[in-house]
Amino acid sequence: MALDFILPAGLEAAEPPPARDGVRLLVASADGVRHARFGQLGEFLAPGDLVVVNTSATLAAAVTASRSGVPVEVHFSAELDDGSWVIEVRPAGVSAGPVDNLRPCEVITLDAGAALIVGEPHPAGQARLWRARPRIDGGVAAFLARHGRPIRYAYVPRQWPLPEYQTVFAREPGSAEMPSAGRPFTAQVVTDLITRGVAMAPIALHTGVSSQEPGEPPQPERFRVPAATARLVNSTRAAGGRVIAVGTTVTRALESAAEPDGSVRERHGWTDLVLGPARPARTVTGLVTGWHAPGASHLALLAAVAGSALVERAYAEAVRFGYRWHEFGDSCLLLP
Amino acid sequence: MTSTSQPTALITGAGRGLGLALAHSLLASGWRVVVDARRTAHLAADLPGAFVVPGDVTDPDHRDALASAVAAVGRLDLLVNNASDLGPSPLPRLADVPVAAARRVLETNVLAPLALTQRLLPLLRASGGTVMNVSSDAAVEAYEGWGAYGSSKAALDQLTAVLAAEEPGLAVYAVDPGDMRTEMHQAAFPGEDISDRPEPEAVVPALLRLIATRPPSGRVRAADLAGTAA
Repeated sequence: MALDFILPAGLEAAEPPPARDGVRLLVASADGVRHARFGQLGEFLAPGDLVVVNTSATLAAAVTASRSGVPVEVHFSAELDDGSWVIEVRPAGVSAGPVDNLRPCEVITLDAGAALIVGEPHPAGQARLWRARPRIDGGVAAFLARHGRPIRYAYVPRQWPLPEYQTVFAREPGSAEMPSAGRPFTAQVVTDLITRGVAMAPIALHTGVSSQEPGEPPQPERFRVPAATARLVNSTRAAGGRVIAVGTTVTRALESAAEPDGSVRERHGWTDLVLGPARPARTVTGLVTGWHAPGASHLALLAAVAGSALVERAYAEAVRFGYRWHEFGDSCLLLP
Repeated sequence: MTSTSQPTALITGAGRGLGLALAHSLLASGWRVVVDARRTAHLAADLPGAFVVPGDVTDPDHRDALASAVAAVGRLDLLVNNASDLGPSPLPRLADVPVAAARRVLETNVLAPLALTQRLLPLLRASGGTVMNVSSDAAVEAYEGWGAYGSSKAALDQLTAVLAAEEPGLAVYAVDPGDMRTEMHQAAFPGEDISDRPEPEAVVPALLRLIATRPPSGRVRAADLAGTAA
């Protein structure tokens, strides 16, 4: 596809910003590009718009483990319906990628006498993510709360505590990595939106690990669009308001619940929806997003909402003006 | 120090052939493995780290010893009823098979797995474990000379199917591994060259795949599990 960007080095946000809503906000619309601070978000929205947020909370999904005495780091990506987990196993420390020689039935030992029995690659056809059966007394959630730490990649040089990886909307633990588009929101920003007549509604989508290889499709994720949110989306659309998704996670959840005419129904389960040229957005008409390593599927999703031309312009401006990338970085509002 | 969360397997008849190859692979993968065999002198060298209980699965005292060994570990994730008796060699036709020999085949291939499964069900239920009963194509095909062995494996297949229906929390499989270059297979074809059959090690990846993917309980052929990404 036409969209392709080189991420300039040195623009990664290596640590949390001093104030969440103090990060920069690039607003890209048909009228052009404007530069602001996130705290000004409300100035760019209109009464009757609906902002949809993800209430999934981030797990302390990374734990130290051992493969027959060799230290590794295990990233817990998603819990499956049968109680097994999708995991990624990486060399100890902050590594560039997964180990390349996992085998079915291999036992990975964890702290406190816990263990994982490795299953098969999940989904099939790749060797980064594997299914594993936990042998963990008390369950995985309690184990992670006690022994885990947030997943961190090489561009963040030190470990930050879990609260730095929770958005103000976080309620249900389940995401391997923070749904980071919501991170710049504060109680003050929300109050400002509500006061302006902008409505808000929740969905939940639990993110998997983000360490996709180039060309690898997004993994299935568990989501829920509540009935009340579906009603708000539909009445907003009927009245001509915009449906603004906070992040690709919210976009994926809403579009997974969208009928061909763009109306939304209550829905929950797993979604493997991939938005792109073949499946443009039906419901979402605006997007708040962070700046991420522009992998093809991420850009395809942005373009499915905002069109390639607008996304291209936004990325070019962001690079030119030195916007910060990744989960602690700056923000973008796309209003096609 | 050992931990109670380390997955544990009990494999009968692990002195040779498929049982030995599977035990070897699970040990290398980090499992705790309890094995039994009638001949065990070589196992200290061949299966370092395994918990070896010498004996015959048809002996109730030996089954007690196996259950005690597993109880000492405190958990069981996988029971492999692999120990089998082929019957007389060369294989007699049903007209000639001694009934005592047929009874012995049923004792080893049907009743011993049943008794052992009964003993270990509480631990298997606790772990949501897997029962793997090693079957044969002789259970479903009518091969001349294979009447005693084949009917015993057919009974084992049905025992497997009913156990699966009664224990929905477990994964219960009857596995047909296919022909292999083993002592048992040689005994079935005395004097013949069986070197065209695959080594039992070649079947292990299919068994690991079965354990790892945990498909619905039932009868499976290792050949259908091939194409393994091991």
